[in-house]
Amino acid sequence: MDLKPATPNERRQYYREEWDVNDIPEFIRKTLTQREFGFDHMGRGPNDRYRVFQNTDYLRKFMRYRTPFAAYSSVAFYHKPRRRDGWIKAELVFDVDAKDIPIRSCGCENVCEICLNQAKDIVHGLIDTIQGDLGLSDIHVVYSGRGYHIRVLDDKVMGMDSDVRSQIVKYLVGSDVPRSEYSSHGMKYNLEHFTVPFGYPQVFTDRVKQALLNLNLDTEIDEVSKDIKKAVIKHRELLSEDQWGLFRKEIGPVRYARLVKGIASLNLTLVDAKVSIDLKRILRLPSSLHSGVSMKSTLIKNLETFDPFQDAVPKFVYERKD
Amino acid sequence: MVSISFLNPLSPEGKDIVRELGSFEGISDDIPELRRLVTRNPSQEIVDDKEIPSNYLELALKRIEWYIKKKHDREFNSRRYSFLSDYSITKYDVISFYLLCQAIGVKFGPNSRETRVMVEAQGDLIQERMGKLSIQESRLMVDQSLAMLLHDDMVHWTFFQELLSTRKIRLTELVLDNGELILNEEDFLHRFGSRIKHRNPDSMYQLLIGDELKELIMVKMIMQETEDYIKQVHEKARVMVEPNPILLELADEVAEVLAEPMQHYGYGSGRSGGPMKAGPLNPLAFPPCVKKALEGIKSGGRNDAIVLFMTPFVSYARLYPDVFRMNITKRVSDQDPQLQITENEVLPLIYEAAQRCVPPLFDDQPQEKVNINAKLGFGMHSTLKMEHEGETTWYTPMSCEKIKLHLPHLCRPDDVCKKIGNPLSYYNRRIWEVMNLDKEDSDSEDNPSSNNVDNIQNSDIQNSDIENSANNENKNSDDSNSGEG
Ligand code: SF4
Ligand SMILES: [Zn+2]
Repeated sequence: MDLKPATPNERRQYYREEWDVNDIPEFIRKTLTQREFGFDHMGRGPNDRYRVFQNTDYLRKFMRYRTPFAAYSSVAFYHKPRRRDGWIKAELVFDVDAKDIPIRSCGCENVCEICLNQAKDIVHGLIDTIQGDLGLSDIHVVYSGRGYHIRVLDDKVMGMDSDVRSQIVKYLVGSDVPRSEYSSHGMKYNLEHFTVPFGYPQVFTDRVKQALLNLNLDTEIDEVSKDIKKAVIKHRELLSEDQWGLFRKEIGPVRYARLVKGIASLNLTLVDAKVSIDLKRILRLPSSLHSGVSMKSTLIKNLETFDPFQDAVPKFVYERKD
Repeated sequence: MVSISFLNPLSPEGKDIVRELGSFEGISDDIPELRRLVTRNPSQEIVDDKEIPSNYLELALKRIEWYIKKKHDREFNSRRYSFLSDYSITKYDVISFYLLCQAIGVKFGPNSRETRVMVEAQGDLIQERMGKLSIQESRLMVDQSLAMLLHDDMVHWTFFQELLSTRKIRLTELVLDNGELILNEEDFLHRFGSRIKHRNPDSMYQLLIGDELKELIMVKMIMQETEDYIKQVHEKARVMVEPNPILLELADEVAEVLAEPMQHYGYGSGRSGGPMKAGPLNPLAFPPCVKKALEGIKSGGRNDAIVLFMTPFVSYARLYPDVFRMNITKRVSDQDPQLQITENEVLPLIYEAAQRCVPPLFDDQPQEKVNINAKLGFGMHSTLKMEHEGETTWYTPMSCEKIKLHLPHLCRPDDVCKKIGNPLSYYNRRIWEVMNLDKEDSDSEDNPSSNNVDNIQNSDIQNSDIENSANNENKNSDDSNSGEG
């Protein structure tokens, strides 16, 4: 399936025949009046902003009549959304874009099945940590057209500022190498991250494993030579059996330290941190059309079985003649 | 027995001590008992009798002096401050803590350098004092303090919002399970015991949580409470009438102690050499991220890179390189009254970098010139005019941490980066090396003779022109857009 842009006619067909305002997730519909909406009519970025809809019917009419190139709504809730003023709180968002995955096994130009699947694996891992470590539960996953948005609406985190959010991002993606030296009663002890089966070290181990299993010789990692990469590829089987100690020995402890440090800094781009720390961002509206690639942004009910090429393709794509 | 208030003066015990004292009356009177305690301390070294604090105010200043000297004086001798870790002074120590917080709160407010120093000093002091206790004693103290600070056995990590926001604690340092912070050993074993293989779970608990982490959390929480208390004082002082002159005087003296290192021991991280003077830019000393940005941004994030990152960096590096050391807010015109350097050196370099973006930034977003002027402090106008200066503030350069988050593709840290937290500090460090030390040690990719801006400006133009024509990708495919507009 090629991801061609949608023509204006196709957009019109989509919004008039296929789209239903009730496809917009409930968590947005029930807070409609507190959110800012933004639209991109010409495909040049969302410059029609500060829009507010008093009810879903107005929004429905707007979409049908204007059939925008792209539609967005704010993650923030405002007292005065029309002026982006009176900020109340904002969803905690993680944006995993298949195109920007730091270690991609596919090497495609835009996005493809392989990197979209990889993005899905990353999303799985992030959600596990959001639930298991951070104890949050009001989580919604949306297919964005080129990747995934994780949107968290637990009240506990919606009021948090950018600094806390950036700490959350770092925890989830594993961008700090956990310390390995600990001391007790004046004695020093060594505990590598993979020997700690819980908490942040465990998260870090999971992310590093994911990266190492996908790494190839062309992957650029700071201060990691081709030789190290060759060794990783040769021995990474050990990781499937969680033989970390052996793996580290094969790579060599100094080179291993350099390797995990390099991966830690790559991990920072697993999600687009700018999106997570921006308290006033607008995000593609679930159910709307991503005209650039002709796919529907879709609220996902079951991530396990979700297949974008089945579940996010609008009808008009099947009717194309070429 | 050590009292909790020796570590945490804001604890109920500490408050009792203040209540007992009652008023400010006699606050500067001599306290013979304090002198006696100090001189009696066996590890105390006294060079000069004048060094012995003889009242609350002097003791307060000693606390700050200890911290500043410890940080900046290479000949710092901790034995001269032994009395600070002797818990027999608790009663006086608590009062001096309150005096300091009030003085700083009234005079400087919560966002001042004085507050920062006070809070840091309190943290360091607690650690110093803990270090003098036996293991049993210190564990007991930590457990008692935490019980008081946390109110509850089960704490959700979001409780630490403030500590996380001010980066006193990193989220990755906490041991979490289901949102809850794990501090207690039984709880730890119950949750993780079965997962731990090949290790003794008890000793793992001690290593990961038992000693260090618990103490860390206690220390940071007390620091945060100290900061909050100063804020409270500040807010109350704004609606009250006259602040007590004794407090104002103490505040001035604190400021004096803080000013000292800049004159005496070269403020900053142990580097010798005097203050950094402004001078022509030396591209050899630019950090990797700036070099990268000068090559032109080719992969999105052009606006942020030029407006938020390059504009502050270039302007401060050229006009006010030691802004962080001086900690005094200035305007561009304080450093460049005719704005000549700004017009002839600073802006051209920023524009050059903007031009080398793909596509060239001003081609499709000419309004960014206005935003650049705004970041220089000249409001939202298309030209730099003195009459507009001050409408916005002169943005200070982003920290490495911010850069790694906002513009991760720019950061390619090298060895110098390990020692700094801001590209401007990198520049100051390197420029000093480039100028004074090893002329032959300059980066091999750079041409050592190219000691001026022109050279780096011309270095990469060809390259980017080629990419320019090859790159026509649709940049509107972003899924999300900044609310900053
Ligand atoms: S560590 Fe800091 S100075 Fe070094 S490249 Fe990264 S952002 Fe620049
Ligand atoms: Zn792909």
